[in-house]
Amino acid sequence: MRGFKTLLWLEHRRSWVWAVSLFASLAFWAWGIKQVLVLDIASRAGIRSGLLGIAAAIGLLVLAIMIGRFRGETRNGQYQVMLLSPPSGYSHILARFVYAATVAAIYYVTIAFLYWWIAELAGIHFDAVTLIELILGLPLYGLALIAFPLMAWVLLLMVVVSSYRLSGSGWIPGTIMVFGSGVAFGELGEAISRIAYSLPGWRIFRHAPGALIERFGPLDPEVSTELSQVMYQGVPIEPVLVMLAVTALMLFLAGRIWQEVEA
Amino acid sequence: MTQAFLIVLKILLTALVAFWAYRLWIRTASWTSRGVGMFLSALLIWQIIAERFGTI
Repeated sequence: MRGFKTLLWLEHRRSWVWAVSLFASLAFWAWGIKQVLVLDIASRAGIRSGLLGIAAAIGLLVLAIMIGRFRGETRNGQYQVMLLSPPSGYSHILARFVYAATVAAIYYVTIAFLYWWIAELAGIHFDAVTLIELILGLPLYGLALIAFPLMAWVLLLMVVVSSYRLSGSGWIPGTIMVFGSGVAFGELGEAISRIAYSLPGWRIFRHAPGALIERFGPLDPEVSTELSQVMYQGVPIEPVLVMLAVTALMLFLAGRIWQEVEA
Repeated sequence: MTQAFLIVLKILLTALVAFWAYRLWIRTASWTSRGVGMFLSALLIWQIIAERFGTI
């Protein structure tokens, strides 16, 4: 446990600049949101939401780069500290992932807070349940579905490439990993869509239409019917469960490769 | 003509991925890396031979 804490501290020492930059970028996006002054309320809220969507996508990219910085660290000698330390490869991988996952969680929960702010600016007042769903539920759902698997995949990619480094360049394992994973995730996506809604869906934002009606008046009957259907069905739980399992598998494989190469 | 071209392309791509798979097998000390490499190479070859590339 103490070794793991030390690894987390090392991880923080290596990556804090990335983490702080990521958090600081949110101030820029918040400023950008205030600059949108289109008269139509719906358009304004739409543009502001779009800006936050861009922030979320850029954050994903930055997190992937942050967690996958193996080569630069090897050149700078920082990686030697990790390689020569007693904790197992699994601990190294887990520490790196836990640090990045924590940064990601803070970043996306803050973005969710900004969504709440946008709604408030548009005069939409959500109830407590919807707020919790927006600020905690939605970011965690997105993290489990997209960010965690992506970060685990980047870790696995870098560890696989590193395991070939002594014997030559890493472009062949890198190419196979990128294209092969594309095929694998495509097939996985199809399998997930087949099993989706086998379990009851998570009825997130079921109270949200009330706040919209309160703000904008009765909705168009067609939109209202579609919205009630979506709200009743909820979002599927299976993709999250599958992607969390895939994340755990990729982390296990990365840790195992680290162990084997180090041994 | 197009069909023949596709067959030749499939053969060449399969050979390339198979060669890469061979390199992935011999150039590491890690059995897990080999396993991951073989699995992904097999997926790619399966796609080349049986699936998407033939239907473009």
